[in-house]
Amino acid sequence: MSERIGTRIKIAALLLFSLGSILLSVGVGSVFISPGDTAAILWDALFHTGLPASIDPIYPDLILSLRLPRVLMAFLTGAAMALGGTVMQSVLQNPLASPYGLGISSGAGLGAAAVMVMGLSSGAVGALLLPGVSLLSGLFTVILVMGICTRLDRSMNNTAIVLVGMVFSLFLNAVMSLLATASPQHAQRINLWQLGSFSMKEWHEVVILFCAVLLCFFIFLWNSDKLDILTFGEEQAASLGVSLKSSKWLLLCAVAAVTGTAVAFVGVIGFVDLIAPHIVRRFFGSSHKRVLPACALLGGSFLTLCDLLSRTLTPPREIPIGAITALLGAPFFLYLYFVGKRRETGC
Amino acid sequence: MLSVKNVSCGYGGSPVVQEMSFSVRAGEILGILGPNGCGKTTLLKALSGLLPASGEILLCQKPIKGLSRLEIAKKAALVTQLSPVSFSYTVYETVEMGRYAHRSGLFPRTGERDRQIVLESLSRTGVSELRDRPVTTLSGGQLQRVFLARAFAQEPQIILLDEPTNHLDLGFQLSLMEDLRAWVKEKERCAVGVLHDINLALRFADRILLMDQGKAAALENAGNLDLSLIDKVYQAQIQDYMKTSLELWRSC
Repeated sequence: MSERIGTRIKIAALLLFSLGSILLSVGVGSVFISPGDTAAILWDALFHTGLPASIDPIYPDLILSLRLPRVLMAFLTGAAMALGGTVMQSVLQNPLASPYGLGISSGAGLGAAAVMVMGLSSGAVGALLLPGVSLLSGLFTVILVMGICTRLDRSMNNTAIVLVGMVFSLFLNAVMSLLATASPQHAQRINLWQLGSFSMKEWHEVVILFCAVLLCFFIFLWNSDKLDILTFGEEQAASLGVSLKSSKWLLLCAVAAVTGTAVAFVGVIGFVDLIAPHIVRRFFGSSHKRVLPACALLGGSFLTLCDLLSRTLTPPREIPIGAITALLGAPFFLYLYFVGKRRETGC
Repeated sequence: MLSVKNVSCGYGGSPVVQEMSFSVRAGEILGILGPNGCGKTTLLKALSGLLPASGEILLCQKPIKGLSRLEIAKKAALVTQLSPVSFSYTVYETVEMGRYAHRSGLFPRTGERDRQIVLESLSRTGVSELRDRPVTTLSGGQLQRVFLARAFAQEPQIILLDEPTNHLDLGFQLSLMEDLRAWVKEKERCAVGVLHDINLALRFADRILLMDQGKAAALENAGNLDLSLIDKVYQAQIQDYMKTSLELWRSC
């Protein structure tokens, strides 16, 4: 019982931290708006309670049409990648697996790059076409990787999946670089987008990503028992009553959907998908009922804060978000992993 | 409870297990012995429905081919060789996974009965005190007890074991097999175990299936096994070896 209460407190703390990071990120920028004012503006936008006279009339517009979509986009992308990473690691029983590693991110990226090169990425068509194509090519990559693995080894061996995924990922990245070289007028956009960016985000993008994240989150949560069991390996999972093939397909396709949508809007972002699950498991244990919500919140706030740094450290220029996540994530991850390991084994 | 008729299976190409037939009754432990590569593990995979096989395997009178994974899991549990775990579930959570097949409905919940069964299984293998420890911190012997407890929690009719005592020291080997035997006898269930250790098999199994190159060389009560067959199948002087060992012990 006390353990359950402890988990609730930790989740509540994480929820507050997430809200705090969102409020902070919305407030900080070229113009500083205090968290109190930010909260008042958001409250007014939701419930039309009227604004205190002390708030500059430009602020609501600045927050609601510029900063908030960007911040929410960062949060949702973080949540999407972290969820994708968690599920991927459990399904493949490999703590080093991630959507990036299986080629989903690169596949989705290539799809989106193709749409850009064909000049279809602008306007209302692009708004739907870009995520659609990107999601489908992410899915297609998964199907291709798993298809090849099934051919190689009928039991869909997991080492093979990770290996083939890695090969695919490298190959697709190379194709993307070729594409960028072949069409110089799009090269800059493709290159920039390979590093990921949250600038110029629109509300409809936020809504689409929100729906994708919410849907996949519930699919994962609904399958949390299966995810727990799958971490013990395929033979054991099957003998406990999990039908391997259908579960794997459903879960990996959902991962492709949620990460593919995120990649379509913001570009290729790594690291969150790999590290968020590890950090969460250190504090919440491994049970997916706890790990999934905690991971979504942690991944979300981590990327929100990374984006805050990326646009405030060197104004007016932005540091690519991918650089920030790796710069912060890599040492932090090493610290947690090795210090944690040492404490666990007691040497 | 388990009936096997003319079963052949393998991994493509010529079958590894050929024309195997036997049955296991309630309250019985069948030990499978045989040299490396004789098809013991392959046979066990077929019995647990993990590997397609020709012939007929009846699990509680039902052909295994027509059963879903969930239905098989309600009838047969599997304890594999000791394998490392990389995710830090607690002992309790791990054993609770044995209840997966019994939870039904669109949004299944773990009820009081499930909890009771998990607690009983934990105490049967003597791991009640470890219930809140992460499985990643356990020794091999403790971990294997947890997996046996998980198999108990599955409430199967049959427990299939694939060299469950590998890498365990002798104390853990004995207690694991004793816990298994107590469960089989008390609950009138049965167990089929691929065993490496001939002594352990003779001591804990009621009957022995001796396999040689995918075929049954002998199927006998443990007391009636023709020991010269063991020498022949293992291509070694096993009887001499055992007797020499015994003399060494006596002279200590």
